[in-house]
Amino acid sequence: MEGLADPDLAAALVAGSQDALAELYDRYAPLAYGVALRVLGDPARAEDAVQEAFLKIWNGASSFDARRGSLRTWLLTAVRNRSIDYLRGRAAHERQEQELVPELVEAGARSDPWRQVSLSLERTAVREALTSIPAEQRQAVELAFFGGYTHREIADMTRVPLSTVKGRMRLALEKLSSYLQGRGLVDV
Amino acid sequence: MSEHEELEASVAAWVLGAVDTDEAELMRVHIDACAICREAAVRLRRAAGALPLAADDVAPPARLRERVLTAAAASRGSLATSAPRRNEPRRPVRMTPRATTRARLPIYAAAAAILLALVVGAVAGDLIGRDSVRPPTSTVARFAVVGNQELAGARATVIDLKSDGVVLVDFNGLPALRSGKVYEVWLITSDGRADPAAVFVPDSNGSKVVLVNRSLEGYSLMAVTREAGPAGSDAPTEQPQMSGTIT
Repeated sequence: MEGLADPDLAAALVAGSQDALAELYDRYAPLAYGVALRVLGDPARAEDAVQEAFLKIWNGASSFDARRGSLRTWLLTAVRNRSIDYLRGRAAHERQEQELVPELVEAGARSDPWRQVSLSLERTAVREALTSIPAEQRQAVELAFFGGYTHREIADMTRVPLSTVKGRMRLALEKLSSYLQGRGLVDV
Repeated sequence: MSEHEELEASVAAWVLGAVDTDEAELMRVHIDACAICREAAVRLRRAAGALPLAADDVAPPARLRERVLTAAAASRGSLATSAPRRNEPRRPVRMTPRATTRARLPIYAAAAAILLALVVGAVAGDLIGRDSVRPPTSTVARFAVVGNQELAGARATVIDLKSDGVVLVDFNGLPALRSGKVYEVWLITSDGRADPAAVFVPDSNGSKVVLVNRSLEGYSLMAVTREAGPAGSDAPTEQPQMSGTIT
């Protein structure tokens, strides 16, 4: 399982392979747990969020479409969304937002040893990109993504007009998108 | 400002999941119909999908892996565990003296101890514990099962994944069993009926993630005893060595 690319790993998950799930876990659990912990700041709830996200992938693997995104992105989106659900005290079925699944794929087709290399490159690029964004734009995005706040709540917290918060979010994501595309990282 | 202009300004917030529920639905409908906003959403989603990489890797607790794999196996109904385990719920056993004709005198004491725990809410003051951390939703419930007497120091966290119909019990600190013995998990109703839920043998570290293959609904207490292996007993033969109130 170790060398399997995402589509093959997803096929193995659909077939009910526990080894495939173990491989998925071994690949991404530290990343997933890091995301949950950053959102929740609570190890016990972070564990629950990660567990639920892996179960979501396991039970929904048949709907995986490599053309729409990588397993990693799907998993991390599920972890983030479930963590935000916990943070906001709502059940998953109440979630109305769309899943943040990207439309293009590149990393998903990679296999070891490129997976680790590309992950490291992508992580470096994302952090560089965020650092390059003005602080107030980065703050707006991070409060929304990792803090689970709505744009209205962020406007209240930061005492700026709602339209300003919307603009900051838009600018931040546009710059992040341009930065990553400029480095050929389309599925991160 | 037109409706398009107004909603277009919220596309970034929408892909970040940062709009209210009503607004999210409005956005979804608009984006489905508006090519300009749809194109923007696709582009911005890609960037938003990268944001998790801003978080640091953190090694999860080692036992989370076992929890995930056990829960996954259970949710597909294809469980394969290493320890002896009951897959089929057995006939319920009421914790009364008539429950068995075999030599298991301590059942009186077991029933008494469990019922006492139900009434008092604790055994010897602090033997029943609950995790202070509970998720705010009803999707996952957590509570603790704590050891006493010879199992003092043993502890389990019960994770009830209600939406997946899976209950995991994460045991730690269990003493090794005598040859031929197993630990048996019991679910106890408020009127004292004890239903066998699972049997298991811990690993060499005294740990085990155990699947309880039934809903906790209708039960008030979870308890653990040591029983004859490999199949365990139909009714407890000793006082509960671990117990916790089901939440």
